[in-house]
Amino acid sequence: MDIFVLVKQVPDPEATIRIKTDTELEIENKYFTNFFDEIAIEAALRLKEKFGGKVTVLTVDHRRVDALRRGISMGADEAVQIADPALEGSDPFAIARILTAYLKDKPFDLILAGRQAMDDDSGIVGIALAEALNIPHVHSIIGLEVDPSKKEAKVIREVENGKEHLTCPLPALFTCQKGLNTPRIPLVMNVMKAMKAQIKKVDSASLGMEPNKVGSSSLQVKVLRYLPPPKRPPVKMIKEDYPENVKILVRLLREEAKVL
Amino acid sequence: MALDFTFTEEQEFFRQTIRDTVNRMIMPRVKELDEKEEFPWDLWREFAALGYLGLRHEEKYGGMGTDTITQMIFYEELARGSCGFFMSVTMQILMGTYFIGRFGNEEIKQRILVPAIKGEKIGTICFTEDQSGSDLAGTRTLATKVDGGWRINGRKQWITNGPIADFATVMATVDPKLGLKGLNFFLVERKTKDRDGFVSGQRLHKLGSRCSVTGELVFDNVFIPDENFLGEEIGKGVQYAGEILNEVRVMTGMSALAIAREAMEDARQYANNRIAFGNPISKYQLIREKFAKFWAWYEAARTFLYKCAWMIQNNIPCINECMLAKYHATEMCMYAVEEAMRIYGGNAFCTEYPVQRYWRDAKFLLYGGGTHEVLCDYLGRVYCKG
Repeated sequence: MDIFVLVKQVPDPEATIRIKTDTELEIENKYFTNFFDEIAIEAALRLKEKFGGKVTVLTVDHRRVDALRRGISMGADEAVQIADPALEGSDPFAIARILTAYLKDKPFDLILAGRQAMDDDSGIVGIALAEALNIPHVHSIIGLEVDPSKKEAKVIREVENGKEHLTCPLPALFTCQKGLNTPRIPLVMNVMKAMKAQIKKVDSASLGMEPNKVGSSSLQVKVLRYLPPPKRPPVKMIKEDYPENVKILVRLLREEAKVL
Repeated sequence: MALDFTFTEEQEFFRQTIRDTVNRMIMPRVKELDEKEEFPWDLWREFAALGYLGLRHEEKYGGMGTDTITQMIFYEELARGSCGFFMSVTMQILMGTYFIGRFGNEEIKQRILVPAIKGEKIGTICFTEDQSGSDLAGTRTLATKVDGGWRINGRKQWITNGPIADFATVMATVDPKLGLKGLNFFLVERKTKDRDGFVSGQRLHKLGSRCSVTGELVFDNVFIPDENFLGEEIGKGVQYAGEILNEVRVMTGMSALAIAREAMEDARQYANNRIAFGNPISKYQLIREKFAKFWAWYEAARTFLYKCAWMIQNNIPCINECMLAKYHATEMCMYAVEEAMRIYGGNAFCTEYPVQRYWRDAKFLLYGGGTHEVLCDYLGRVYCKG
């Protein structure tokens, strides 16, 4: 099976993020591979181990390649970085257009992606790519079985109060949700291999992308303003004794905290 | 442009990978490892299966043959987790197998080094005795030449991994009157029904690093064959010890960095949330000063340690630099854990908060790789001589 896995490097949850201007963030230089993308890589590797084939990790990122190295260290065969300064500031739709341009002529059986990136949480790229490639997709899967002879996959996704079992012809695109698997911890031998791995670079011009279709000039979704989370109000001490304090607490929870 | 303080993209990737591994495998168990005070065999096997125990050994024995900087990045990140587990792992990677990898014959490497890299055999190194430690010239464990080999007699104390060790690199003297010139290293295996060897003595219960088991090894007229002599010629043991101690000291400094950083990161979070007199305590100048001092000393310690790693990697003589860097980093760590305890106030005295564990773990760093009293005496002497 030939599988492409879409990966993205996102800010580490420990990284400090500050609002620089209304539409610009200052992010501490601490990045890691998107958690859901690691689940997608693991799913791809398990299929490769079962049926053979090739796993290629693919990212659209002009600066960072660690998510690709992470993929190699886990066991992926190849890594491709679509990198071009013109891609800076692209929104999820532009990223999907770039990926479409790269993948439209490539043979593959399956594309896997994380259900969303942990930075913008948009969850758009995978689905938009499937639409553009005109292949079926299932979002947020927690179960995956493939029958290569029938060119068919059985997937499970969580729905309200239950699970939905679906059958899907291949090639297809699935986005992966927590619960599908536990990503492996890489062997140090593979980590060393990943450190030295040659990353194949592709620029947007070689994909025939018009400059106005990518980058900040192509935005369909615009950030108007970043707002910091509200500051935690000071602790309110209830001075009255029992049972009056309980009544006040319930009233505050209902009227001020609005959690009851 | 010869001066460059940046890590390569590959080194940063390696650091992130180790960090993630530590976060997933060790961090969730740190409290349990400290409280149980037992060697975590399950974690050991799981960790060994990833291949890290061969980090500095040749590829043909299952190792990775990494450079010194890469190893130090590994140590710095590993020590963020359990300090006890860090001690067991570094004993296996560095001190416990160093001389076997360097001087062992092919049969010994296949029989001992290869399974050690897989984590199937546990190794250790034995320097300390009841009357010697930093004072190596006081070593009394005796190696007597006999037909076809050596007889080893003595007792070694404070042996990390000792109670569970399968093999040990033992410092022994061929003649106590020779002082440092009589010292040599020997490979001794644990006694079995088919083989002469060492037996375990008393196990020690420690203040910190508690999941690393530490104890006494007893050598009662143990016969070892000639090939278990680890060295090129008799009398070079102290020179070899000096060579490995550079790495050991920088590695110890790396663990000091990690403990200090963890303690102060926790303290920062605590200080930002703990309200006193209507403000988070991080708003008060006396608290802020603690962070400022830590930050300055931490940055200096880290830069110095990586300079030493670079010197080792490039075969630049650096015995004094490594001593200075270990001394500085460890004292910085003592400051950090002590001040973190003060920032936590009374809560520091409860085992519910990890800050007391950092404080307990850090204390051992004062002795490993030479007590600071001995290091300072030596360094002061060297400095005054000019």
